[in-house]
Amino acid sequence: MSMQSKAVAELLAGVRDSSDKVRTQAWLNAGKAGAAAVKPLAAIMTDSNLEIARAATRALWQLARHAGRPGAAKEKQTVEKELIGLLSDENPVASRREVLWILSEIGGANAVRSVAALLKNNELREDAGMALERIPAKSAVAALKAGFEAAPEDFKPNLAQSLRKRGQEVAAYPPQKLVPKKKTDLKPL
Amino acid sequence: MKQSYKLNRRQFLAVAGAAAAAPHFVPSGVLAAPGRAGANERITTAHIGVGGMGGYHLRDMLDRRSRGEVNIAAVCDIDETRLASALKTAGPGVEPYHDYRYILQRKDIDAVIIATPDHWHAVQTVHAAECGKHVYVEKPACCTIEEGKAMVAAASKNKVSVQVGSQGRSQPEAYLAHRYLVNGNIGHISRVDCFHYPSPEDDNPVPDSEPPAELDWDMWLGPLRWRPYNKRYCPGTFRWLLESGGGQIRDRGAHVMSCAMWWMGADGTGPVTVEATGTHPTKGLWDSAVLMDVTYTFKNPDWVLTWRQMPEDQLPRAEERTGDEPGGKISRPGYGAIYRGDKGEFIHWGGDGGTWAEKKARLWEPPAGAKDVYRSPGHHEDWFKGIRTGAKTIMNIEAGVGVANLCILGNLSYILARKLQWDQAKQTIVGDELAQRMMSRPQRYPYHL
Repeated sequence: MSMQSKAVAELLAGVRDSSDKVRTQAWLNAGKAGAAAVKPLAAIMTDSNLEIARAATRALWQLARHAGRPGAAKEKQTVEKELIGLLSDENPVASRREVLWILSEIGGANAVRSVAALLKNNELREDAGMALERIPAKSAVAALKAGFEAAPEDFKPNLAQSLRKRGQEVAAYPPQKLVPKKKTDLKPL
Repeated sequence: MKQSYKLNRRQFLAVAGAAAAAPHFVPSGVLAAPGRAGANERITTAHIGVGGMGGYHLRDMLDRRSRGEVNIAAVCDIDETRLASALKTAGPGVEPYHDYRYILQRKDIDAVIIATPDHWHAVQTVHAAECGKHVYVEKPACCTIEEGKAMVAAASKNKVSVQVGSQGRSQPEAYLAHRYLVNGNIGHISRVDCFHYPSPEDDNPVPDSEPPAELDWDMWLGPLRWRPYNKRYCPGTFRWLLESGGGQIRDRGAHVMSCAMWWMGADGTGPVTVEATGTHPTKGLWDSAVLMDVTYTFKNPDWVLTWRQMPEDQLPRAEERTGDEPGGKISRPGYGAIYRGDKGEFIHWGGDGGTWAEKKARLWEPPAGAKDVYRSPGHHEDWFKGIRTGAKTIMNIEAGVGVANLCILGNLSYILARKLQWDQAKQTIVGDELAQRMMSRPQRYPYHL
């Protein structure tokens, strides 16, 4: 067994451990396991044991942030590639939502196409739009523009706002942030 | 404020003392614009968030209303049970609102008091400023570096008075401590060590569930990314989540480090490096550091600020008191700071609504020619003065954001497990692309800056 495989096996065993302390120590050291741990961790993120699922989620975040450290561009790219693979339809919505937010932190131009595809997914489109808003690649802006053009009416305001955040002028769908929407049934005394 | 970056300590104190007397802008209220209070009129307030500290502010304003000092126009909360309770407390003539933006539309309201969960502070402050309202916002001012920048810009552009709720600066013994320190009683201070007991761990994790009927979960989340409701998010417990409350460092750090920055004459300055370590909760939803060590290194002038969450048995022992002191007995001995100078040390406990200075500072009699420092008339009073005269408040938005940034940077270093370099002039992290990206985070439509 290679060092890398051993690190992945130890990580997976650790996050599945019944001890709170062992799980915590495992996810804290997730960075060592690298990209090979991404898919198996994602599979544990929906474990029926809440704390095991939580440890796997934290491990994935830890792994990605470790890969995002200065001077580790190649490692980050490898982890990013594995994360992008998790956005496909066969993965649960909750896992994909988490992955979108991880990619919002470490994703680059390579992630844009797969993230943008989720602008058509009613359950994930809001998170996908916000991830694109944060990914600093020019192609993310282009994807937001294309997504805006294709979006149904109820989602266009969200993408218009994301485009404004990226410095784009969008005349239609002015910001609604100061427009009150929700009333109370309570009356003054 | 930018001018003060270049001031030495003595010059800064002279400026700080004069700031209260010298208006830096003329708020429209002073001009008695239609629907706005003039200098001699009652200020009309509204309360956004009425649980926890929001309830305290409402009760305080009710006392002021009974003395004819303010009008209370509205109360607002996204928890209908809390709203009903606040309405009952406030009595007739007060309008209840679910959505704070109705309040911002009302021309007769001069000022808002924001005491919502921390992840709402920046968005609501910016929105209120854009609608011309003066703002008292609970601490910490903001959750991200980007939010802080937006708050400063909105307050400046719209010429509104903002007071951040780090009320330690306005406590009687804070004045005594400040005066004692700036008169060189412990010599040149090169280190301030803040201490605090640990953040709690979630001892009762529960699965996600449907939110209670009285709570608008969508609006509770506001700018945060959507996720299912969990009982361990609220009320109050949002403090133990990094993305909302940020743990003790952002909750109480916004108090204790506020005193440090004020007393060290360091408002407007920032560290050049931030390095944090900590221990992590072993289960549950809460993810803020339990124990924590953060070191902030400042240059020109050179000094070190530390934040340490430590086991309770390692905390400095609280001073014995009779209760007759200006601040009374020490009711919260579990946090404070030790100031280390080349001629001695000084300790204070608390740093929020209770700020207790060591005996030697309380008993010190200033000799002729001693320097004096600004003495706040009270945190709300200081804000009212800001509204009426345009004077800079004691915990103005620039200072509040400066302190919040310390807390944010400490948490970022803890999360990333690495030392961060900070460029104060450019307000940015240097040489770490991921950390730079984490200086902001996308906000959910339409609850954004």
